[in-house]
Amino acid sequence: METESRNSAVSLDGVVKTYRLGEPVHALDGVSLEVPRGSYTAVMGPSGSGKSTLMNLIGCLDTPTEGEIFLDGQDVTRVSDRERTRIRGEDVGFVFQTFNLMPRLTARENVALPMVFRGIGRAERRERAAEVLDSVGLGDRLEHRPNELSGGQRQRVAIARALVNDPALLLADEPTGNLDTETGEQIMDLFEELYERGNTILMVTHERSIAEHAERIVHLLDGEIERIEQLSGVGR
Amino acid sequence: MKLLESLRISWRAIRGHKLRSTLTTLGVIIGIAAVITFVTLGAGLQEGIVGDISPDDQRNVYVWAAPPENSGQGPLAGAQPVFTQRDANQAANLSGVEDAYVYTPVPGQSVTYGNETVARQSGFIATGAGYLDDDEIADGRRFTGGTVDPENGTLEVVLNPAMAGLFEQNVSVGDTLTLGVFQGLQVEVTVVGILEDSESRSAFEGFGPSPRLYIPADFQLIGGVGEQPRYIAMVAEAPTRSDADIDQVKQVTEQYLTGPDSDAGERAASQDLAFELQTSTELIGQLEDVLNLLQNFVVGIAGISLLVGSIGIANIMLVSVTERTREIGIMKAVGAQRRDILGLFIVEAVILGVLGAIMGTALGLLAGYAVSGYIGIPWVFPARWTAVAIVVGIAVGVLAGLYPAWNASRTDPIDALRYE
Repeated sequence: METESRNSAVSLDGVVKTYRLGEPVHALDGVSLEVPRGSYTAVMGPSGSGKSTLMNLIGCLDTPTEGEIFLDGQDVTRVSDRERTRIRGEDVGFVFQTFNLMPRLTARENVALPMVFRGIGRAERRERAAEVLDSVGLGDRLEHRPNELSGGQRQRVAIARALVNDPALLLADEPTGNLDTETGEQIMDLFEELYERGNTILMVTHERSIAEHAERIVHLLDGEIERIEQLSGVGR
Repeated sequence: MKLLESLRISWRAIRGHKLRSTLTTLGVIIGIAAVITFVTLGAGLQEGIVGDISPDDQRNVYVWAAPPENSGQGPLAGAQPVFTQRDANQAANLSGVEDAYVYTPVPGQSVTYGNETVARQSGFIATGAGYLDDDEIADGRRFTGGTVDPENGTLEVVLNPAMAGLFEQNVSVGDTLTLGVFQGLQVEVTVVGILEDSESRSAFEGFGPSPRLYIPADFQLIGGVGEQPRYIAMVAEAPTRSDADIDQVKQVTEQYLTGPDSDAGERAASQDLAFELQTSTELIGQLEDVLNLLQNFVVGIAGISLLVGSIGIANIMLVSVTERTREIGIMKAVGAQRRDILGLFIVEAVILGVLGAIMGTALGLLAGYAVSGYIGIPWVFPARWTAVAIVVGIAVGVLAGLYPAWNASRTDPIDALRYE
């Protein structure tokens, strides 16, 4: 277990998350999972199965009630809020269903934002942001604001933002949920490309066709892992 | 996160809501502008008044007798006519006193020059020759004090330019005027000098330029039938304006006045009057106290405006935090620490406060400049208050931004990202 958690991008060990809203609700009830480096994992499950809770825990947005979570070999359950925030900024890249871009910032500034909080200088930020935007095919949209971009382009900006700090894990929550099928497919192609470049991807979705782009699918049900499905021919 | 980054991001948020930001800062603008305007005017007024005291005036001790309850109310407050010409002559001979002369404003009615008659109720001043100095006279000379023979029409007067300019044709040295004074009395006088300017010559005359005419004190003899005329005030001059010399003059003059030999002392005692002996500087000190009181009052009201202004900023910051809940969530998701968010919103509030302070200061300086130009007092740049205004702007921003920023920093990123 020890060696395994050090080698994995993400390692969950008996994670329990209980919400106390009058009656205790077990959102996650003893989940153990290894996400190896460079792997592509999809998490599926009906609503209320604990998908979002799992995302929040892995993304260091929340802390488990019980159990341990290792991110890039580091225990993130017993660190201060400040340290967790730092890990979140540097080791996790979020991609959301609703893109979540800053409306007043340009594409380049949005992508550079995570570096602002790491204290990286402006010139370096601008250069790196342009580089990453170029790598997701938006090299010609640097100075556009989100409202001047299409849905697919916005999601590309969000992906570039998630990649900019070279995170250990790319965490995507329904990344195609707000996109039409064709654009969604293009985004999935981009994820595949990122996977092939060696990024670790964990994606939550409720669409089977999207989940099938991954190497394996983790099926969640009532806060527990129902089964893990290995897919052979990746994404096709 | 560096301060520069916070400034950059906050400035953008403010620019994104130009109208709202402007309206929000209005409270601060008005408060600061009011303070700066009134402080400028107050300083200008003081400067104007203090500037009126010539070095020569600073060695004069002004003396009058008034009921004790009038003490401290300013020059001539409650003053009664007690001084005689003899008192002045005696005082002039005291050790350490350079010169002494009586002073009284004369109630007038009119001044006639040729065919032209101008109504003047005030501005006739009966005093000794020493009251005016040779170097203050632009044209002609001082009147010769002491020996005037009103019957032969040799009464000499000195005018200031404002008085000389009352007539269609300017009065000049050598001209004859007819004064209409008390009880319908008409007196012919000869102009022997014109002053260089129309400023007040002493604290007794009030402040600022106005038409004035100076007549020898003996003029009072014309109206008085037989009786020795009494004057409302006396001026005793020290040789220099040093404190020691002035104190000496005050001491010997008071000693004389309260002594058995003085006409004024006798009358003052019978009417329960106390003597006031003050220099122009001291008299102006009293006036400054009143001005300061007034200024503090206005600054107090402006302070209320600032308070309302900062509540406005706090209010709009709270709205802004709610509006940008999602943005806060995004920033937290990509690694913003609580103190980053805290800093961001405080900086935004401080920018609003400082912006208000700068605009308020500019407006206040402009208004102060315009009004002091209009009412004719010198314009003084209130450097200290300008600095205070900027500090207040920062303080208002920090205070107003603290709670909203703290709220923002505590936002839960999970809720914030879900916020619509």
